[in-house]
Amino acid sequence: MWEKKGKIVLGLYGISKVYPGTVALHDVNLEIEKGVVHGIIGKNGAGKTTLVGIIAGIISPTKGEIVIEDRHYTHLSCIKARQENISIVPQEPQLMLDLSVAENLFIPNYHLASKGRRIHWDEMYIKAENILKQAGLGLNSRAQAGELSISDRQLVLVVKACYVEQARIIILDEVSASLTQKDEKLLYRIIEERKREGKTILFISHRTDELLEICDRVTVLRDGRSVTTVSCDTLNMEKLSSLIVGEEFRFQRICNEIAACDQREKETVLEVQNLTKLGAFQNISFTLKDKEVLGIAGLRGSGRTEIFRSIMGIEPLDEGLIKLKGKKVRFASPADALKKGLAFLPEDRESEGIISSLSVRENLVLSALKKITRIFCIHKQTEKDMITHLIHSLDIKISSAEQEVSQLSGGNKQKVVVGRIVANQPRVYILDEPTRGIDIAAKESVLKIIREQLSQTGGIILTSPGLEDLLLVCDRILVLYRGRLVAEMRRENFSETTLFNAVQGGTEPNQVAGVASN
Amino acid sequence: MSKKTRVQMFLLDNLIWLIVIGFFLLNAIITPHFATYNNIVNIFYHSSIMSMLILGQGLILIIGRLDLSIESTLAFAPGVAMLLVTQWLPGGAGPVSAIILTLAVGALVGLFNGYCIGKIGVNPFLQTLSMLIMLRGLVLFLVPFSIFPLHDVYTYAGKARIFGNIPVAIPITIAIFIIFHFVIQYTPFGRFFMATGGNPKASFISGINTTRIVMYAFMLSGLLAAVAGLLYAGRQGSVNNSMGDGMVLLAFAGAILGGASLEGGKGTPMGMLGGGILLGMISNSLNLLGVGVTLVYATKGALIFVAIVLDRIKVKLRNHLMQKEQLEKILHQSKGDGESFSPSS
Repeated sequence: MWEKKGKIVLGLYGISKVYPGTVALHDVNLEIEKGVVHGIIGKNGAGKTTLVGIIAGIISPTKGEIVIEDRHYTHLSCIKARQENISIVPQEPQLMLDLSVAENLFIPNYHLASKGRRIHWDEMYIKAENILKQAGLGLNSRAQAGELSISDRQLVLVVKACYVEQARIIILDEVSASLTQKDEKLLYRIIEERKREGKTILFISHRTDELLEICDRVTVLRDGRSVTTVSCDTLNMEKLSSLIVGEEFRFQRICNEIAACDQREKETVLEVQNLTKLGAFQNISFTLKDKEVLGIAGLRGSGRTEIFRSIMGIEPLDEGLIKLKGKKVRFASPADALKKGLAFLPEDRESEGIISSLSVRENLVLSALKKITRIFCIHKQTEKDMITHLIHSLDIKISSAEQEVSQLSGGNKQKVVVGRIVANQPRVYILDEPTRGIDIAAKESVLKIIREQLSQTGGIILTSPGLEDLLLVCDRILVLYRGRLVAEMRRENFSETTLFNAVQGGTEPNQVAGVASN
Repeated sequence: MSKKTRVQMFLLDNLIWLIVIGFFLLNAIITPHFATYNNIVNIFYHSSIMSMLILGQGLILIIGRLDLSIESTLAFAPGVAMLLVTQWLPGGAGPVSAIILTLAVGALVGLFNGYCIGKIGVNPFLQTLSMLIMLRGLVLFLVPFSIFPLHDVYTYAGKARIFGNIPVAIPITIAIFIIFHFVIQYTPFGRFFMATGGNPKASFISGINTTRIVMYAFMLSGLLAAVAGLLYAGRQGSVNNSMGDGMVLLAFAGAILGGASLEGGKGTPMGMLGGGILLGMISNSLNLLGVGVTLVYATKGALIFVAIVLDRIKVKLRNHLMQKEQLEKILHQSKGDGESFSPSS
């Protein structure tokens, strides 16, 4: 697609990576020229992070070859990658929170700031101060990393890769996702400066506008395959978007089936008033009708997860009232909430959702064991009927019910967790990011299940990493900003731009009043 | 899953029984008097006490914790029970009460451990380490000299023999293992155990009272330690303060050999029985071969090492098998698709 001009510093040929249950990458080819800002874009689960993990030596590929200048490798290790002068800034900022900013910058390269074997702390602080100034960051090098905001932490790591380690190839994995707008500008400036010095930068993102602005060349990944590599001058946003998605956006179908329905006739199942947990959220009040799908939109850290966890009794509430079908309740534990008909799907599927050492069968029935127990024992036939029904109705793809859950793909794992909740037949579903980190087909299917099956049996509250999911399935969306509800939208007047602005905090005060009186 | 992989997986999951059978056949050939009726009964008889500890430890390993205190509980429970019936209780009590008291003391010690670990959140290693030392110290203080003779009813479980000259301890042990195997495999309670060990956070969120499960597990392990104490006291006909000394590490080795994992969520009581029998056979064959006592101890140490390495190798092999299986499936699929790839729909 593009003509070779410069020298190839990094080449990946025929790279595949197979995880239990999924093919993350399949026969990916990638060539990166020296002194270029090379973008990698793709949807969630397209394999971006796996690909850069392989380049940085964190993940070893199942198949394929890595060529750095003239050296051929079947896989790299972290140390090898470091020797080849490759630095990576991962998606989630990982700093040693108890150490100072300066030490975080120099770890493990203490020799850059020491004479002989002794670490010169003063010199390290001075050096760090200079580097931070050079990069344009107004941070105190003696400050503890744990006191910094997420955005600042991310920038510290960028500075470390760019200025301290002086890497030849710098990988920035969705770095801008945790940056504030001001810091974003700073990042672009740093990238520009590094490029002028002849460094190569690999920039991963799922935002098309950003990529077009700063990259020279873009590789598009789709379903673990490298679709194409194109020069940015020949691209515009629409063209890039269609390359990423590859086909018609399929969600439209679900969307059309939903008619805006009148909520007033339905019975209220859950009502919360003035929920407050200091430092997380304040004065949260809303009602949930039966068979309603209520979305809660908000940025990361706006308090979504905390509200859910407090309602379920996982974390204590400071203040507030919860009414379930008009009766005042307060749950002491998820077990308690489950008994009264509330089910919770946690945000972090791997660590709080599935129990990976157990089989699909055991995971599915875990919450509903009471229903299938006859005189202390699990009734095999009833259990079998239950899981056959669940697997069928949720369309879980497995080779057998005895398979270990750890072998399934992300989407199927999520369906197993959803299945566990459904098995218990709750009245209220509380779903925290049910579409997080699953591929597009699975996402569509999960959203469909939520809309068509779950909403027939109870009320649903859900959040989502992307606003488009909420717009597709919800009857009503509440907007949360810094722990407060700031706006409410009904299906009739959904609009992506207003919602986007509201989530960012740009709402008129009169809309807030609207929620309070609701 | 192909037939070959399924067989391989089955063998890996039941590795312990393969080793037991292999070790038995090997010794039947090289060790004199090994494969005789009397010796086999002897092996089972001598494994019974250790097997109880292994089962207790195994239950704790299933929920992803560990219990160092069982070997002290083994001495503490019968010690306190005997003192209660002979000296402390006004008027004394019968041997049946003594048995019930033994079991109750063991369960209470376990419950206390479980309460501190589950409710208060004390680290299980530190909690049970302190109990290990404290209870042993108390036994040394309370039972400076052996207590004997014991009543025949009290020693029945450990000493008596029934038809075919089989010690009662063997059917008791087997019965306990069968009960626990059934409970772990076929009841909600057992499922909660496996789930709590596999992922405590997810189990809590999916509505399991994980605190209570932790408390139950420790109580059961204390109870099983008391049963072991009962068998021990019965066999030697007395209660003394060195009972069970140094057994806890071997109990770990046995449980891990039997399929439990230090990470929790794995293992079955039947596998642990295999671990107990293997340990018993090793002691027995070394004795018969005339290996010195000091070297036997070193061998047991080596065994713990082997157990831990084996655990890792097993996990790796298992993952490797699964991955191979997946890869084959995917290759098979993409062959079917031919050159053109269509995104999964």
